[in-house]
This record gives sequence, structure tokens and C-alpha cells, in this order.
Amino acid sequence: MKIMKSITAAVMLGTLACGAAMAGTNTKVALVPGGPHPYFAAWEQAGKDAMKDFNLGAGDYRVPAKWELALQSSMLESLITEGYNSFLIFPGDAVGTNSVVSEIKDAGGFAIATAGCLKDPTPALFCMGTDTGNSAYLGTKELIRVMGGKGKIAHFTGFLVDPNTQLRIDAVQKAADETNGAVTVVQVIADIDAPEPANEKINAYLAANAAGVDGIVTTAWVPAVVAAQSLTKIGDKRIKMVGIDHDEVVLKAVKDGFVDGTMLQNPYGQGYIGAYVLDKLHSGCTLKEDAPWKSNALTAKFVDSGTVFVDAKQIDTYVDAMRGITKTVLANFEGNYLNCK
Amino acid sequence: MNQSHLSPDSPGDSTMPALGRGSVFMRVMLSNEFGLTVLIAVTFLFFASFLPGFASKFNLFTMGRQIGIDTMIGLAMMAVIVTGGLDLSVGAIGVGAAMVFGYLSQILGVPLAMAIPCALAFGAALGFINGAAVVRTGVHSFIITLASMSIFFGVMIFLTKAQAFNQLPLVVPEFGKMKLAGIISPLLVISLLVCAGLSLFYRFTTLGRSMLAAGANSKAAKLSGIRTARVIAACHTLTGALAALAGLMLTARTGAAIPSMAGQLGQDWLLPAFLAPVLGGTLLSGGRVSVVGTLLGASFVAVMTKGLLLMRIGEFWILACLGTMLLLAVLTDKTRQSVLRNRGMV
Repeated sequence: MKIMKSITAAVMLGTLACGAAMAGTNTKVALVPGGPHPYFAAWEQAGKDAMKDFNLGAGDYRVPAKWELALQSSMLESLITEGYNSFLIFPGDAVGTNSVVSEIKDAGGFAIATAGCLKDPTPALFCMGTDTGNSAYLGTKELIRVMGGKGKIAHFTGFLVDPNTQLRIDAVQKAADETNGAVTVVQVIADIDAPEPANEKINAYLAANAAGVDGIVTTAWVPAVVAAQSLTKIGDKRIKMVGIDHDEVVLKAVKDGFVDGTMLQNPYGQGYIGAYVLDKLHSGCTLKEDAPWKSNALTAKFVDSGTVFVDAKQIDTYVDAMRGITKTVLANFEGNYLNCK
Repeated sequence: MNQSHLSPDSPGDSTMPALGRGSVFMRVMLSNEFGLTVLIAVTFLFFASFLPGFASKFNLFTMGRQIGIDTMIGLAMMAVIVTGGLDLSVGAIGVGAAMVFGYLSQILGVPLAMAIPCALAFGAALGFINGAAVVRTGVHSFIITLASMSIFFGVMIFLTKAQAFNQLPLVVPEFGKMKLAGIISPLLVISLLVCAGLSLFYRFTTLGRSMLAAGANSKAAKLSGIRTARVIAACHTLTGALAALAGLMLTARTGAAIPSMAGQLGQDWLLPAFLAPVLGGTLLSGGRVSVVGTLLGASFVAVMTKGLLLMRIGEFWILACLGTMLLLAVLTDKTRQSVLRNRGMV
């Protein structure tokens, strides 16, 4: 009798395990950015790692040929046709992408807005990305620290149509205000997250005002690259700078001492954790209604994928730093956000 | 006036003046439309045979929806190409009209039955401004519409502050997702109806024939009593109305009126706007339109794009591959006509 019970238990456990494995196999994840951008390059490896670690049916990174809403929508439709049922999407448009996400939902799939949010009301499960305001605040605090707690800051940031830009501007100002006037933001240059305007405006500004600036904080990819290049060319390490993201130019400038550090975002973790969550949902888990969602300008269901400051000491191991954030977020995700039986 | 170039949607008229009353079969065989139909059939069968899911209901639905929108964009450009002009502002007009529609229906609560005609009228008015400027100044429509593209789009962004209207009446997004008989998008049906209407317009109405005449030979048209300035203005007005309709269709597709839905300055529309009519046999020099050809041109592009996406040849190669295939299509068509001529079949 005991043996029979043991066999029955073993069979049940086996069935459950097979069920879980099958669920994993049936989860086909596509990671789709809005268009080509170096920020998303880490998604490719994240998809591959997640596919291997979670036994997914697919973990493919697919990039639309250019930043065009229609192209991204067309690609997503094709992926639905191919049988993908799980999507991590950087919205081509915060409103326009909702339409194709609703079609994903109608087809029985799940989608998470990743690295950028969709505007509520949205059929996306939630949004996972960098808490841009917090990242800008922490980056500015680091800059103020290396400036010795006093001086004048210039802030170079992204497109004004991006709702995150105003949050970044406010966050940098907030960090400066906390010094009770010891640090002032003397210039904010926005709308320059593209090579041409960034080169033109940053170089012109530094040519005219470098002597009047003690620190630079950048909160968008291209301005960070251009500012790092400019400081390296000038060759003067008097001006302190904290950049953002992990472009090779920025990393080298940090290593060479022309930039004091960079605020890493976590694109790898966004892809990896997102794939994990989608697989969990296909396995029968559900999202907790009372989960500790954050909110931002676009959505009330936001999950911070983490951010970390890296300076010259950690620059050679920045990948480990990114994986460290991922581990931290992943370790707490199920308990905080999922109901799994 | 060269009658061979005054052709409303008549297969082969532009290339076979000698055929005359003879073989209807040969006329059809030598037409652009026939070549495109064969190409579409062959490529469709190829993709359907080798790509699982290509012939699925969902793919056919999305493909039909895309054909509907791209055809309308193509028709908008075709309506002005007929006089030998062009309109670079079709995207800006389409988005502008969509934003007017969004403002009326979401902010002011105007019923759809009124908001839609108002948006179409707004598009037509912008088109008329283009036409009037072309006629008054005598400057080529390329320059006029290059300027108006920036003006229309800039004013739209200024007035809307680049904010989308995403709380439209539910019927709008539902219409974009609707499936007739489980497979057909109503957006495709709208395009088919407009195609039918335009075919009749160019063939049977005085204004339609005048547009073709003015495009084929402006001087001859004037001598025969056609007021070409008014006709050109009318062409631009029609373009504006059709671009507005395309904008409304795209609004239904995306479920919202979005300033960026045709890209920066509306430039994302330019490729489908030119590709569909030119591939379909509309002469860039004017005087000949092919409404059916425009529909087929848009269909070919949609079939190719979907097929290539499913083949995963690499997203960055799709546009290049599409261009190559289009070139091959045109060359094949020319070769086919040449072979038939050499064999004395013409």
C-alpha cells in the first residue's frame, strides 16, 4: 500500500513537473523594441538566457527596421501569426501601440510594456522600466558628491515630447535644491537625444560656457555620448560629469577619468525578468491586484527594473553590476507581484 | 491630345494604341493590372505554401486591413498625379484631419456622423489650399506641398501640443478590429468602395475626364475649353479628402488619433503613397490613372511585406528586398509585353 502511495505521488509529481515544463515550452517570447537603438542590444542576450534558463519555446529579439509605428505594428502582427504568445514591447507610440497589444490579448497572449510605458487605459499587463526620475536624482546626487557639494551644473537631456524628460529635469533640480543653494542648475538643454542636435548644442554650449560650469549631468543616451566625447576632447578633468547608460564612449571616458560615473539602466534585466514573468503567467500565475505598483506619468502599474551608479572602479565589472540588479529584482518579483499556486 | 494617354483605369490603353477594337483578351494580357494580379497570385501561393500561418485567418485579416489603408493613401496621391503633380503633404493632411476628428469627437462630443464629414471637409480644405497655391503661383506642386507639409504638421503639433486623443467613442477602435465573415476588415471594404467610386468618376464624369485631359496635355485641354486651373485645384482638393479618409481609417486601426501616426511631418506615408499608384500603372507625367492598379499595387506590397516578415530574412533587409522585387516586377512586365509584341501577338 505504501509502495502504491509512493508510486501515485511520484506519478503526480512527475505530471506536475511535465506540466510545468510543457508550459515553459509553450511560452514563445518576442522582445520587440520600437526601432534600432543601442540601448536594446542587451535584450538579445536576455532573451537567449531566459529561453535557456526557463525552458521557453522561444526568446527572440526582433527589431523593426526603423522607428515607425506602422512597421512595429506590422512586425507584431506577424509574430502573432508565427505563434508567439508573449511580448516584451517598447512602445513605438505610448498610445498607438495599445491597438496591437489589444490584438495580442484577443489572441490569448500577454504583453508587457518594457523600457517605456503605454498610456492608461492599456491592455498591457504592466510597464517595467527605469524609474527615470529616481535615476536622474541619484545620478545628480553622485555628481554633487564628486563636485565637493558645491558648484554649477548643466543638465543635458532627451526629447521634450517624452514625458520622462520633465521628470528628469525636476529630479535634477530637486537634488540641487537639497544643497540649499550650494549647487545650482545653470542650464538645461533638452530635445537633443539625436546625434546632430546633441553635437551642435552641447559643443556650442561648452565652447561658450565651459568656464562657468563645474558639473554636467546627462539623462539620455546620445547627450551622454556627446558630452563624454566633448570632455575627452577638451582634456580638462575639472568639469565633473555623471552620464547615463553603457555606451562604449561613455564607459571609456569613465575609465579614462574624463567622466566620473554613469547611471546604468537595466535593459538586460528588463528582458530577462519580463520573459520570466510571461512564462509564469502562462503557467497559471496571475498578477496580484494589491501588488506594490509604482505609478508614473503614463501608467499606474509600473515596476522599476532598477538602476545603479558605476564609477571607474567598477567599470570593468559593470555587466556584473547589471546582473546583480536583475537578481535582486527577480528574487522579489514572484512574492511581490504574482499569485502562483 | 494624345488619346492613348487619356486613360481612366483601362487596361493597356496607355501602351497599346494599336490594339483598338481587337482582342479584349490581349488588352487584358498586356495590362499592368494583369501582370500585377499574376505576381500577387504567385507570391501569395509561394508564401502560403512555405510559410505556416501565412494563409491563417489572422494574417489574412491584418493583410487586408493594411491593403485597405495603403490603398487609400495611394489613391490620395494618385488623384494629384493624374495632372502630373504630386503632393508631399498627404501624410500631414491625413494626420491633421485625424486630429480634427479626435478633437471633435473626444473633446467636443460631436457625434461621429458629423465629426467624420467635418474631418473629411477639413482635409479637402487643406488640399484646396495646396491646389490654389499651385495655380496662383505657378510653382510646381513639389515645392508648394513641401512647404505646406511642414506648415500643416507644425500647426497641428502646436495646437495639439503633440497629445493624442485616445478616448474616442468605443465604436472607433472596434471598427478597426472588426472582422466581417471572420476575415475581412471593413477598412478594406471602404477602400474597395472608394476604388469603385473613383473608377466611375474618372470614366463617366466631366470633371473626371477633364482631370485626365489636363494631365495628358494641359495646352490641348485649355484649347478644348477645360479650365485647367480649376481642375488642378479640384485634384488637390480630392487628394486632401482622400488623405483625410486614410487618416480616419488609420485612427480606427490604432484606436486613437495620434500626431505621430504618419511619422515626422507625415513622411511615413510617402512610400506607400507613391508605390501603390506608380506600381499600378499610373503615369507620373499625368493623363493616365489606374484605380484598380493602385489597389493591386498596395496589395502586392502588403503581401510581400507580410511574407518577408514571416520568412525572417532580417528586418533590415525587408525594405531593400521589397525594392528589388518591385523593380523585378516592373522589368518582368516590360519583358512580357516585349515578348508578346515580338511574337506578333500585338
